[in-house]
Amino acid sequence: MVKIITNYGPLLLRAMQQTLLLAMSGLFFACIIGMIFGLLSVLKNRVCNLIATIFVDVIRGVPMIVLAYFIYLGVPAGINSLLEKGGFTLSALQAGTACLALNCGAYMAEIIRAGIQSVDKGQMEAARSLGLPYWRAMVRVVLPQAIRTMIPSIVNQFIITLKDTSILSVIGFPELVNTAKNVVAKTFMSLQTWAIVAVMYLIVITILSKIAKMLERRLNRGRE
Amino acid sequence: MAENKGKVKIHVSHLVKSFGKLEVLKDISNDIYEGEVVVILGPSGSGKSTFLRCLNRLEDITGGQVVVDGVDITSKKTNINEYRQKIGMVFQHFNLFPHMDVLRNITLAPVDLKKMTKEEAQKRGMELLKRVGLEEKAKVYPPQLSGGQKQRVAIARALAMNPDIMLFDEPTSALDPEMVGEVLQVMKELAADGMTMVVVTHEIGFAREVASRVIFMDGGYIVEEGTPDEVFNHPKEPRTIDFLNKVL
Repeated sequence: MVKIITNYGPLLLRAMQQTLLLAMSGLFFACIIGMIFGLLSVLKNRVCNLIATIFVDVIRGVPMIVLAYFIYLGVPAGINSLLEKGGFTLSALQAGTACLALNCGAYMAEIIRAGIQSVDKGQMEAARSLGLPYWRAMVRVVLPQAIRTMIPSIVNQFIITLKDTSILSVIGFPELVNTAKNVVAKTFMSLQTWAIVAVMYLIVITILSKIAKMLERRLNRGRE
Repeated sequence: MAENKGKVKIHVSHLVKSFGKLEVLKDISNDIYEGEVVVILGPSGSGKSTFLRCLNRLEDITGGQVVVDGVDITSKKTNINEYRQKIGMVFQHFNLFPHMDVLRNITLAPVDLKKMTKEEAQKRGMELLKRVGLEEKAKVYPPQLSGGQKQRVAIARALAMNPDIMLFDEPTSALDPEMVGEVLQVMKELAADGMTMVVVTHEIGFAREVASRVIFMDGGYIVEEGTPDEVFNHPKEPRTIDFLNKVL
């Protein structure tokens, strides 16, 4: 155990950094995607609702590992055969980010939809009756209230996404699991290596949930 | 009919509203004059709230016309947001914004729609709060107010845009009995100031005292209308008589 930590500790820490980098970039785009499709699903427009529903259903219905292979290997292959010349590739970081963004984005869209729908519809009516246009009313009145109810689910989704980065070891991104595999291959110390990796995930995720709890409490302060 | 022969503020002709296959309003026509206080009565499901909500197009109108100050608000070309600024609305469940303090509830629309600077809006907001007797609650959040206080803030909020029509959708129905009076008092003062008001309510006392005209609705139609004296003391239609027997 000590040998692994002294010999491979820095390597594993760097791998954790890569994991966090991948998770953050994925989450960043996931928030944007989630917002777009979440709003599409609450608009009073059948076409928009349908687009959002299809997106969410497709992403939810495909395992992330399949999505990862599809984006990393399938998409460049498709583009290359379409352009009839080779050479287009996606880096593991790009493909991984896209994969996380789509996957987490779909779940975020559902969280945002549910959050907006949880706000009493009298709120929107009251804002509209004052003459505020739809988007103004949404931004000033509905969303601030929706976000409060969404925060626990969003944090939960962030944690799931952070853990899902481990799936992207299959496309060769040097995140924690991928790196740990290499360490095990060199040292044959499975038990110790995987125990260390597990503890590393545990620490990061515990810290994140504590921060989230604090944030949640601060947002709810001074109300009710 | 009311003696008031002023300017027509709201002209409703052959208004029809359906929710899917259910026709809630069936051919309603009526003129509401400037300064009138029109009270709409009727059993639940008679379409009175829907009628009210059609007057500022909170409900999409299925057929017919609603003309406010000479402008057809049912037309797609009309900027409805502009017209809603002239029509204040008060809801049964208050619908105050819980994440903003009382003063911010009132100043949101005038500031956001650039009708007033923040300072002007706050000054006006404090005046309105004083008018409804709640100036000491300016910095309080709505969840800390009683029902009656919430509704008075909601009235102040609706007045912040200086509307010349006020719509009230059962403003006292969600209140504890001892709080009804304070809200009706504010409404009476508004009426005395000459505000054009359309009020859906079950408060017969208020209707008798304040209404210039009473409309009785049932089954999506206007069954009977007239002065409070005509409708309450000499109702002609059997359905009106039946309803009044139940509520009086």
